[in-house]
Amino acid sequence: MSLIKKYIMLDCKEATYLVSLKEENKLSFSKYLKLELHLAICAVCKRFEIQTIHFCNLATQLPFKTENKMSEEKKTAIKKILEEA
Amino acid sequence: MENNYQLVPEKWIDNYADALYAFCFVRVNNHNLAEDLVQETFLSAWKAREKYNATATEKNWLYAICKNKIIDQYRKNKSHLVLEETEETETYFDNENHWKSEKQPKDWGLNGQTNLEQKEFYQILSKCKLKLKELQQQVFVLKYIDEIESEQICKILGISTSNYWVLIHRSKLQLRNCLEKNWLKI
Repeated sequence: MSLIKKYIMLDCKEATYLVSLKEENKLSFSKYLKLELHLAICAVCKRFEIQTIHFCNLATQLPFKTENKMSEEKKTAIKKILEEA
Repeated sequence: MENNYQLVPEKWIDNYADALYAFCFVRVNNHNLAEDLVQETFLSAWKAREKYNATATEKNWLYAICKNKIIDQYRKNKSHLVLEETEETETYFDNENHWKSEKQPKDWGLNGQTNLEQKEFYQILSKCKLKLKELQQQVFVLKYIDEIESEQICKILGISTSNYWVLIHRSKLQLRNCLEKNWLKI
């Protein structure tokens, strides 16, 4: 059992780390298999993978979803700078 | 076939200042700095207007200039930022590197589909992002908002590949945890 643990099983910390490498196809074949095996039997890490992919995909839209605006003073200041440039 | 794109500098501020500001703010998290970056963008654009060759729309052209300003800013900053050696992942994993029970991801009921209140989601994501360390935020922004390749990101920030993956791992653990705590409560 300890040999299996050593050579085949990943722990959760490493599995969650490798999930990001998988996303960019940066895993060796053996690491890939180990990760898939772990994700097949560890529901918590599988959940981590699904959730992180989900919110990272949504993140692309973040700049367009915030309501931060530039101050009117700054806009006036920039207009002035451009006129004088 | 010639494009008919034209520059209309007198309308730049009315048309693009707020959008470019939001674009910068999410990347630098600082009101004054974001405003200054927009100012520099317009100023550089104004100086380069003769060279505008109408292959991109005015909007895309301004965004490209702005993006370069932000990357310059990151480069300028990189010497101040160091990857902290502390093992933040200890917060999430026990001695055997298994999830601590209180930190285990809970079921979000996603099933691949989202029925989340989008606007609220982004407000919380934005707050959670602010809690990340500066270097973690920059890595996250470059990777997931700007969608730049990891090799390129390492060059911009002057970090090694292994540092990059550690930073991505930590920011995902932290963001996920923060989102779960704040967003599922709504």
